[in-house]
Amino acid sequence: MSIKWLSNQDYEKLLSGLIREYSLYAPCRSEKELGFRLVEEISQIAIEDSGNTRFPPKSLFFPQSEVLMKYNGILHSVEKEEKRKILFGVRPCDARAMKLLDHAFNDEKAPDEYWQSKRDSAIVISYACIAPGGTCFCTMVGGSPFGTVGSDAQFVKLEDGFVIRIYSEQAEKLFTDLPDAQKKMTQAANDLFDQVINGMPAMVEKQQVHDKLLSLFESDFWREISESCLGCGVCTFLCPTCFCFDIVDETLRKERVRNWDSCMFRIYSLEASGHNPRPTKSERTRQRVMHKYAYWVDQINEIGCTGCGRCVEFCPVNIDIREIVEKALHWEMIGGAK
Amino acid sequence: MENPRIQKIRAEAQKLLIEEKVDVVIGFKKGSLPSKMQPFFASSVEEIEQLELNGLCSNNLAVYLNHRSKGERVAIICRGCESRAIQTLVLENRHARENLTLIGIPCIGILDIHKIEQKLQGSISSITEEEGQVVVVSGGREHRFDRLDLLHDACLHCEHPTPVNVDIMIDEAGWIPENSFDKSYCQAFRLLNIAQRYEKFSHETERCIRCYACREACPMCYCEECFVDHSRPQWIESTVEQAGQQAWHIIRAFHQTGRCVSCGACERACPLEIKMTYLTDLLNQDMERDYGFEVGMLPDQLPPFATLSETEEQFFHQQDGDHVH
Amino acid sequence: MKTVESKKPQIVLFQCQYCLASSMDQAWVENDLPANVKLIKVPCSGRIDPLYILNAVQGGADGIMVCGCDPHKCHYKEGNLHARRALSEFRNFLDMLGYPSDRFVFHWMGINEHSLIQPLLSDFENKLMNADLEKHLDTRQVDQEYF
Repeated sequence: MSIKWLSNQDYEKLLSGLIREYSLYAPCRSEKELGFRLVEEISQIAIEDSGNTRFPPKSLFFPQSEVLMKYNGILHSVEKEEKRKILFGVRPCDARAMKLLDHAFNDEKAPDEYWQSKRDSAIVISYACIAPGGTCFCTMVGGSPFGTVGSDAQFVKLEDGFVIRIYSEQAEKLFTDLPDAQKKMTQAANDLFDQVINGMPAMVEKQQVHDKLLSLFESDFWREISESCLGCGVCTFLCPTCFCFDIVDETLRKERVRNWDSCMFRIYSLEASGHNPRPTKSERTRQRVMHKYAYWVDQINEIGCTGCGRCVEFCPVNIDIREIVEKALHWEMIGGAK
Repeated sequence: MENPRIQKIRAEAQKLLIEEKVDVVIGFKKGSLPSKMQPFFASSVEEIEQLELNGLCSNNLAVYLNHRSKGERVAIICRGCESRAIQTLVLENRHARENLTLIGIPCIGILDIHKIEQKLQGSISSITEEEGQVVVVSGGREHRFDRLDLLHDACLHCEHPTPVNVDIMIDEAGWIPENSFDKSYCQAFRLLNIAQRYEKFSHETERCIRCYACREACPMCYCEECFVDHSRPQWIESTVEQAGQQAWHIIRAFHQTGRCVSCGACERACPLEIKMTYLTDLLNQDMERDYGFEVGMLPDQLPPFATLSETEEQFFHQQDGDHVH
Repeated sequence: MKTVESKKPQIVLFQCQYCLASSMDQAWVENDLPANVKLIKVPCSGRIDPLYILNAVQGGADGIMVCGCDPHKCHYKEGNLHARRALSEFRNFLDMLGYPSDRFVFHWMGINEHSLIQPLLSDFENKLMNADLEKHLDTRQVDQEYF
């Protein structure tokens, strides 16, 4: 792994080069929100010291609506993505989330080609978080504001420029013209990390959370924490690790399309017989929390939540998954079921 | 300023629980972020101490009546829009009025958190409300704003902030603005030409991600099967396409004709800040003009689409151009 | 409903099955409607959900005609009264959002009115031919080869 230095003066030259040679996607400001868009010129890029895009970059690999196949007498696949792209300015929580999603989409026997082909042709460059926000809690779930899981390279912003830490060969090629970072700079980056990590929440022990949640499966706990839930899909649609989808045939367009679906909707688990194994908000909220904090741990020994905080920020009724986990861990202590 | 109001609310709520007149009190309590409040369901006297009411209480609590079990005796803290929504729900036979105890309090408007964020650079540490002003601490500094500048648009257009048909009225009026709010903003929309109106409508709806936060936040959307969830046949495609986004908003607004209380909870719930109250405000204005009907004001006046009149005949043979905007 | 060759305005006719007094009119509507008019027959005009109208508008209909019965003549007593209330407001609503109200007409047929449907349709068609048929809410995407 090499570490390079990019001074503020050279930033424009490097970025303009990347924009020319690749499809570069970075956070850009639109009328209402920050989102990953294809950058045509450098002034569009809007990466600030704090804050994140409304939609996670996973939408570039797994869009909300995607045409899988067209039919015209016979079914034929659509062209798979091959254009080289760079995702620039991704937060460590979102980069880690895409690595987690590789487990979901990358089944050995049946890999998801739509996800895989886009992933293979993309280089992920993350920005270390030097000013985590009030809803950020990556450290609670085993991540870090300077975390590098899922990143091909990471930019750490210092006063005079960027320390660039490189983790893959394909990223190495992008920065060959840059000088190596001096010890003074890498030390400054480390010092910055120490400062930032100080204010972040403590990590929960994943096995402990897993076991406690499983033990609460039948308890009243879920009815209480889901009481104010409206049952909309905001948390799932903004989540960087959610991957549930529905497949429909749009006959008027002769297309087979895949669309995001949400386990928070009542009809998500409604069966053709009319039976619904998750009939109330209680079961559905239990499913959402346990999928992230228990079932992922069972499957790959990782918590499926990366602490990006979007669900906390945008939930219309301020349901806070941090509070839910905290409450679960202490449930018996406060008198258990009412 | 809030203190006498909230103390009186808590006192009334505690009394109801002590006298065992209700099983639960629905209100708000402090949220996990400086800009948020959480809907709260208190069933003990101790829990009542957590009840709060301020400009960050952005949900319409009437929606929770649709989530509770039928026989439950519920008390709800009601501002203007909650009381009118409940009145309409009772009229539509969704809830028995005798199971409800409404604690009414005149509303002083809900703050629009996006308006606050737009005026600041950094993140928000705290929001406090004083008489006519809102104090926001952000980036280590204190910022003062006029409450009127931060009110949500639906509140700026509200015609009935005082609750109707409540059992207990908390008589502390709170800060009342000098301007009277009304729906004349609709006139500006009507005066645009048809291409401009379409442009405004399609511009708002093209952001829609069909998360249905608007539907779930709305007390009047209680259908067990929503028209978008119907399959066989599927009327509205679930793919995120312009036709689907537009159809969703058009039909949902139309299903609210004569029912929407203009609370704006839908807009505040929307993660993409889509404007949609103007659609139902336009429709409800037509209901007022054509049928003399105002949503949720009277306990025995059915909405226009739930009733008929023999005098309908006279409308049947008028010219096509009879409806003037 | 985008036909490639036709320059005639595309009209969708929602017809209540009882409103046409004469069987000749009914036979004409079922068998000899011109190609640019699509028929949706309903048991009663009260059955017409605004969703069907919107479907037609989004599918590219240049004109919508709703035919039902005069008051007191509804086979189901009040269906037409419900239809008039809801659909005339829907017409206003569509006009507010981009579909001009003169492209959406109602005809409430009396029990003795016959031989009206053909001239009504051709008058409507002529009006539409001279109007500016902006395609605002016509947003449904279809495969061009489908039709």
